[in-house]
Amino acid sequence: MKDFRIEREERGTVQLLRLSGSLDMYSFPRLETQLNALFQQGQHRIVLDCRDLDYVGSAGLGALIGFAKQARERAGDVKLLNVPDRIYKIIELLGFTKVLEVYNTEDSAVGSFSKN
Amino acid sequence: MTESAKGISVSCAKETVYVRVVGRGTFQNGQPLRRYGVERIEHGCGEFFVDLAKCDGMDSTFLGVLAGIGLLLQQDRREGKLHVVNISARNMELLRTLGLDRLFGIDEPPGKLRNGQPPADAEFKRLPESDVTMLTGPLSKNDTADLMLEAHDNLVRADQRNAPRFRDLTKFLRQKVDKRKADD
Repeated sequence: MKDFRIEREERGTVQLLRLSGSLDMYSFPRLETQLNALFQQGQHRIVLDCRDLDYVGSAGLGALIGFAKQARERAGDVKLLNVPDRIYKIIELLGFTKVLEVYNTEDSAVGSFSKN
Repeated sequence: MTESAKGISVSCAKETVYVRVVGRGTFQNGQPLRRYGVERIEHGCGEFFVDLAKCDGMDSTFLGVLAGIGLLLQQDRREGKLHVVNISARNMELLRTLGLDRLFGIDEPPGKLRNGQPPADAEFKRLPESDVTMLTGPLSKNDTADLMLEAHDNLVRADQRNAPRFRDLTKFLRQKVDKRKADD
C-alpha cells in the first residue's frame, strides 16, 4: 500500500492539491487538515488531482461533500480532477457525481472557477 | 499474496463463526459478510472471530458492517461478542478512532475458544463476491446506498462520537434512500 501524499500548487486563485497513494480513513485526516488550513486562509477554490490515487474510501468521499458545501457557501468549491476509472466508478455508484464536479483536464478544472 | 486468495472466508463450528479477511474490506464486499453474519446469528451463533492477519485495510462501511454484527450479537438479551484477532497496528488505530475497540473483543478470546483459532478440521468457504478485485458484475446503486447508510448508522450507534464524523455522508445517503423510497 502506497503512502498517502499531498503536493500543493497555486494556479491563480485556485489551490491545486495533487494526491497520491491511498486515501482511506487512516490518511484522510491529513487531507482534512490541509483543507481546513486553506479555508482558514480564505482559500475556497480547490481542485483535487486524483491521478495518482490508488484508493479512496467511502467515508473520505462523503467528507468531501461537506468540504465542497462549505466552500460553495464562500463562493468556492472542491472539484475533482483526473479521477482514475476504478475510483470514478465508485463515485458514480455512490451518486457523488451529482454533488462533486469531476474534470479530465487541469485547465478545465481550474478554468471552471472563472465561470462562477 | 495471490489475487485469487483475496476475499472473505468463513467457517462455522457449533455456535462459533470464524471469518478471515484477506485483502481489503470495503463497501464492495461488506454486503456478503453482513448477510452471512445476520443469517448465522439468527441460527443461534453467538461468537464471531474475525481474523485480520492478512487484511490490508478496511473502509468505514466494512467497519460498520462488523459493528452491526457486534451490536446484533448483544441485542435482545443476547450475550455474544465479535472478537478481532491478529490485528495490525494500522487497523487497530482505525478501530480505536471509531470507538469499536470497546464493542469488540480485541485479541482476547475466551480461553475455551483456543485463542480464537478455528478447529483444525474447520472448512472455510469463500463468500461469493467478496474479492473486490474480481467482482463479476456492477454493484447495485440502491443496495450500496442502503448498506452504507446502515453501516454508518451502526458506527454512530456503537459510539456517538462518530456522528459528526459521518454527518455529511449519512445526510447525503439518507436523502438519497428516502427519496427512492418515496418514489417507489
